[in-house]
Amino acid sequence: MRTTYRRFSTSRIIEHWIQIATFGVLVVTGLSQKFYALDTARWIILHMGGIDHVRLLHRYTGIIFSLAMAVHILIAVVGLVVKKWQPTMVITKNDFRNVVHNIRYYLGNEQYPAPGGKYSYTQKFEYWGILTGGLLMIVTGAVLWTPLFITRFMSGEIIPAAKVLHTNEALVVFLIIAIWHIYNAIFSPEVFPLNTSIFTGLISRERMIHEHILELARIEGTTPEAIRAHRNEPTEHDPSISDDRQESAGGLTGG
Amino acid sequence: MKRTLGYAGRVLLLIVLILSAGRADGEDAPMSDEARKCLDCHAKPGIIKFFQNNESLIAYVDPDKYHASVHGSLSCTICHPEFSSGNHPKRAFKSKAQYQIRSSLVCRKCHSDEQISLNAVHRGLLLEERKGKPVMCTNCHGSHTVTQLSRKGSFTNEEQYCMKCHAHSVNMHFTNKEILPLKVDLRLLSTSVHGKLSCSDCHFGFSSEEHPQRNFRTHRDFILASSENCRRCHFDKYTKTLESIHYTMLSQGRLEAPVCTDCHGSHEIYRVSKVRTESAKRCRRCHAKEYDIYAGSVHGNALINENNQDVPVCVDCHTAHTIEDPLSMDYRERIPEMCSNCHTKKEVVGKYGLSTDVAKTYLSDFHGVSLGLYKMQKGEAGQPHKPIAVCTDCHGTHNIMNTRDAEAAVVKSNLLKRCQKCHADANENFPDAWLSHYEPSLKRAPLVFFAGWIYKIFLPILLIGFVLQILLHIWRYAVNR
Repeated sequence: MRTTYRRFSTSRIIEHWIQIATFGVLVVTGLSQKFYALDTARWIILHMGGIDHVRLLHRYTGIIFSLAMAVHILIAVVGLVVKKWQPTMVITKNDFRNVVHNIRYYLGNEQYPAPGGKYSYTQKFEYWGILTGGLLMIVTGAVLWTPLFITRFMSGEIIPAAKVLHTNEALVVFLIIAIWHIYNAIFSPEVFPLNTSIFTGLISRERMIHEHILELARIEGTTPEAIRAHRNEPTEHDPSISDDRQESAGGLTGG
Repeated sequence: MKRTLGYAGRVLLLIVLILSAGRADGEDAPMSDEARKCLDCHAKPGIIKFFQNNESLIAYVDPDKYHASVHGSLSCTICHPEFSSGNHPKRAFKSKAQYQIRSSLVCRKCHSDEQISLNAVHRGLLLEERKGKPVMCTNCHGSHTVTQLSRKGSFTNEEQYCMKCHAHSVNMHFTNKEILPLKVDLRLLSTSVHGKLSCSDCHFGFSSEEHPQRNFRTHRDFILASSENCRRCHFDKYTKTLESIHYTMLSQGRLEAPVCTDCHGSHEIYRVSKVRTESAKRCRRCHAKEYDIYAGSVHGNALINENNQDVPVCVDCHTAHTIEDPLSMDYRERIPEMCSNCHTKKEVVGKYGLSTDVAKTYLSDFHGVSLGLYKMQKGEAGQPHKPIAVCTDCHGTHNIMNTRDAEAAVVKSNLLKRCQKCHADANENFPDAWLSHYEPSLKRAPLVFFAGWIYKIFLPILLIGFVLQILLHIWRYAVNR
């Protein structure tokens, strides 16, 4: 039986690296403008060669971010429509059921966490949060960049409204990444010190069982119950506890 | 009989002369007969001597003053040798000055150069005379009221000593023929802020011993040199003025630029900060155009017509001494601070129904933030290609108008023009991008208001959701272990 599975293709890995770079630059140059009164922000602005440079860098990085976003959407649409990919990232009713299921699991009312497909509900919500947030940032950013052009067609009030949206949505996206994504990819005990899947493209079977059991069952042509039953055989202890110990070990060895 | 009387008369005259000679000061000496005779006419008011250039001189002599003068015991003919009781020649002079020069020569018959040169003032005058400038004794000493000026020890203070001359019409002559009256009004001086100072505190180098003769090309040169006296005490203000645009102008040879005394005056200096209207009027002397515009502004109108002491005068923005070039970038960057000095203070602007948020709303918007950052990075990073809009770009400078009432529409219509100064392509929608110092509300900018509110609700929910999920996750993991 295979111990690792391929989770991400090379193009996805490259895409993620582009996201890390552009998002990082946008956050540094953007938040230092938002929190301009802070000493840290001023230090950053000074060391980047002044506010003009920071603004230009923010805008040009925004262009790269927008292009990456456009390519991503294009690939997804072509993949779904032409190549008939599975719409694994689409949020379904089941995802909301999984939210309830997982809360019950956290509170001790379920034996196993919510069975995850290729993407768990947390990953789906994060993805769509970033995607819609990113689109809003791109649109409002473009408005703020070209106020003279925009006010040719629209009321001037659009500009401060776009600023409020841009600056607040930036915080939303930043919080999604800084708290939720960084926790799930780094600090979560199941993956600490790092979920390397997006860099290596690989995931361990152990983590698949815990997080993406439906996907594993689909690949192996079996059912989640069969996988769990097979896995529980050698152990004599309480299955859930031993499971988790193995899970964490799996995470540490790079899933 | 006649002879006897004549003889007796001569004896009497001799006695009188002997007596008068014995009294050096002549204060109580009787007036000579001759003098009495002259005074028969010259004590009558209205006797006027005309000169060829139509100048005139009052030939009236006050008998009491004359008698009290140091020459009170002398007969008239000693100083006026051409005249006697039987001889009153008609003389013609081109001008009053010519007459005075001629008269002064008479003084020198008794008062030798040697004698008068014991005094420093006289030494200077004699030097001048050698260069061709005539000396007029009467300018300082008067004519029929001649008093002894420098009797050492008889003055209770320096002021008295100086005022012996400077209470009269003493003149200073400049090379370019300008004349400056050096008469000092003691009443003004004593009520000025310097009322308790001695003359030499300011007029360094002058005293009852010293009176250097100085030569200035022009009146202005003298003023410029005199203003240097102020720095001995007001060094802080002096150093401030060194940075001012006025000093820069001076150093570039523009001598009309004001120095201390031009604004503060000299002997009549008073505390100008107490009379704000006066302060503004001083600037007006040179900046009349700006003053007139200011007078029509919401600030100037309140100051001048209502004597409102809350409104700024020139020095509140331009400062009194460090007066900077108002077109400089440094000055421009400080404008929001200047306006904030009053417009963020509820106790100042509150009573006029003005918002104190004006500075905050400006400083948190694009222009205000940019301005702050450009200031912060000065010298270390780039500066804007175009000047950033500050308060005055929309509100005006000297012509600041009320932004409410009838003038509101004018301000609004000016806004687009002001936007277009930097944003050439701006159309009539563009100015609305600036919320005119208003915080977004349902009435003003509902779109902005809603966008803000959505996030005020959404952000905390998101944050709490994340933290809860993470805590639950960690808790489950810990329990399972």
